[in-house]
Amino acid sequence: MKGFTHFISGIAVASFFPQAVHMASQEQSFILCLGGIFGIMPDTLDFKFAKYFHKSDFEIKPDPNNLDAMVIAETVAKAIRKAEQEGRGTVQLHTMQLGSNLWRSYTLAFDSATSEVVVDIGPEVDTGQVPFEGTELKDPVKAHARVKVESQFFQQFDKKSQIAIMSGPCFEFVKRGEGKIEIVFLPWHRTWSHSFTLGLLIALLVGIFTFFTVAEGPNPELYSIPRWLLYPLIILFGSMVHIIEDSTGFMGNNLFYPFTKDRTNGLGLMSAAEAIPNFLFVWTSVICILYNLDRFRWAPESTPPGIESVGSYFFWFYAIPLAVMAWFFFKGKREKGSKDKPKSSDFDSATSVERETDASII
Amino acid sequence: MAILETLLHPEYLDLFYFSALGVLFSCLISFLPALHIYNVIGIFLLVILKFEATMAPMQLIALCIGMIVGYSILNTVPATYFGPGDESLSYYILPSAAWVAKGRGVESILLTGVGAVGGIIMLAVLAPAFLWFMPGLKTITSPHMFWILGTVIAYMVLSEWPKGISQSESCWENFLEGWKFLSVGLATFLLSGFLGFIVMAKTLVPIEFAFQSITPVFVGLFAIPWLITNIINIGLIPKQHDPESIEMDWGLICRGTFGGFLGGFFAAYIPIVTAGVGGLMAGHATAQRDGRLFVMSYGTCKTVYYVGSFMLFFIPGLSLTRGGLAWIVTPVVSVLTMKEYALFVALMLFSAGMAYLMLAPFTRMCIWIVEKIEYFWVSVVALLIVIPAVFAFTSWGGLAIMTVSTGIGLLPVMFQARRMNLMGVLLLPVCINMAGYGNDVMRFLGLI
Repeated sequence: MKGFTHFISGIAVASFFPQAVHMASQEQSFILCLGGIFGIMPDTLDFKFAKYFHKSDFEIKPDPNNLDAMVIAETVAKAIRKAEQEGRGTVQLHTMQLGSNLWRSYTLAFDSATSEVVVDIGPEVDTGQVPFEGTELKDPVKAHARVKVESQFFQQFDKKSQIAIMSGPCFEFVKRGEGKIEIVFLPWHRTWSHSFTLGLLIALLVGIFTFFTVAEGPNPELYSIPRWLLYPLIILFGSMVHIIEDSTGFMGNNLFYPFTKDRTNGLGLMSAAEAIPNFLFVWTSVICILYNLDRFRWAPESTPPGIESVGSYFFWFYAIPLAVMAWFFFKGKREKGSKDKPKSSDFDSATSVERETDASII
Repeated sequence: MAILETLLHPEYLDLFYFSALGVLFSCLISFLPALHIYNVIGIFLLVILKFEATMAPMQLIALCIGMIVGYSILNTVPATYFGPGDESLSYYILPSAAWVAKGRGVESILLTGVGAVGGIIMLAVLAPAFLWFMPGLKTITSPHMFWILGTVIAYMVLSEWPKGISQSESCWENFLEGWKFLSVGLATFLLSGFLGFIVMAKTLVPIEFAFQSITPVFVGLFAIPWLITNIINIGLIPKQHDPESIEMDWGLICRGTFGGFLGGFFAAYIPIVTAGVGGLMAGHATAQRDGRLFVMSYGTCKTVYYVGSFMLFFIPGLSLTRGGLAWIVTPVVSVLTMKEYALFVALMLFSAGMAYLMLAPFTRMCIWIVEKIEYFWVSVVALLIVIPAVFAFTSWGGLAIMTVSTGIGLLPVMFQARRMNLMGVLLLPVCINMAGYGNDVMRFLGLI
């Protein structure tokens, strides 16, 4: 899911606490922002910190002046062979920057049908990933390579990874049952940062701090939760909603790190980059926030409501948009389904279907 | 029926004349590089107020509607070829510069124009619905504006991702390279925020030009850094292709207009938030990726922001003053009824149609200029217009503020950080003031 989706979902979760809404409207507290901040926090930890401190067994820095797809494919195959022998192997692929707005692209794919690593040197592209015609490599031997490995491998989706701009992706190869190799995309992503245990730990630490520092606010008899407990709960639920939303995608999370070692697969209901699922979560959050701000308004007996009829509010602002979104979503799925009839992946053909490595869409 | 009779009454035809005049005037304003409509209208008001007696309030409003609608549609052209005037435009300018570099500037402008007209149509279609739900929305959100601004700030800061492409063996070197961009972004936001506090608490602008106190800040933060960049990076604009038609479909139009409308409406409704910030959030909320979609959506976003914030002011009984233009016309407006609201919508549609028809010839004129005159000289002349203009209206104090702002404005340009962080100049002080902590911060800064 997009960062914004997680962010606004975190705020929506925080708005379910009446005391937090009262604190915002009566005491000028920014407590509701806390939900948003911790909603986006797991990705912040990954893309601003964890990414830099992950060490790979192999690094691929292709030489733009001496391009050879075979060198790249062989290095990836070495990482797979390491996994065959030692259980795990990782490889980091780097991009090739040729100018301030010029990059040389290449793609990497894993053909599970033939157990081959497939690498293609692509054209030069600008930072918007628009290719420059005529910049493709002329020598087909250097431009395309396939390297066979011993083990069979499997991954969640058979798609090419395009390595073109900014920083390149990292892959981990893990030996599973029957000697099969699992291909893990971005092994440093959605691990410890996307775990229930980390959320709980942070909430616990914050809870200890607030227990000793946050005094009970006015009218405590109105609330079932003491004020000091609000902060850790908002943090916990804010980060939890991120993990739940990510679980609807393909990549999944490592829910109980360090007790569980690997990421579990997501439900695969939607892709992180899809517009309608993202907007569905965003819109649901907006509707919840407005509803909660209204129903938890201070002094409801003397303040007129903003929502006069709850039924009408949910019908016009939620049910109708939901129906429209569902119609477009399933229409898109049907159209895509009819286009994707041949199920086997063709890694040698030019295709725009690639896996994203850009932080902003994950 | 009664509304139609009102609109077609000869008594109101002069309003269409003034709207048309406003659109023509906006053409001139948007052609002047690096000037924001609210600044120009502020200056213009000085002249208008002198012969206020000859102009009825509604005529002045019609003029303003023409100016803002025309500006919101036409400003894309000079922004694309000469540089952005404010943050709302600088959000668009980097992608549009890429289109210009490929000779597809006209296509980008026309797509933006279609998006802008789409935004105006959506505003007109939703005008009756605004009467129904805006009062409720205002009731719900009024006590919460400060933290909503806080979330905008938090998201702006948190959603900037590292850009470093260091491939060093050392993790720390890669980390520091990545964080260099983030740190500059944060520093830009904080510095511009402190500048905002200083300008709001102790402005150097003479009291008679107090309403222009923010002008030198904006010129310094957004316009001059862009012009300096143009002057330093002397490059030729490639031959611009003048397409007979542009590639688009209803799906693109609907998605672009919808996403842009969300961002524009958010920016129009939430004080201080601009089209750039609104566009960023709406773009992320609707997971936009396609370049054409972005350009079109941006057209809708900025139009809905500029025009929508003015339109909110005319919703009867709502008293929602958003955006500089609403504040400017407040003194001349006594009562707002359904009649004024309906007239607003009619004048808005008329102005949008007129501005859209002018878009293609206006674009060709700008292309003619940049093809005849070197880009370097266009930027030099723009700089030579802007600096004396700031001096004329804000004196030496304004120039001093502009100089400091330019220094801060150059930070994101030099380090490729987000220019949006410069909006800290308004977001930070306003958010903190609304939350009631403004005096504490000003005391800390030694301003009071």
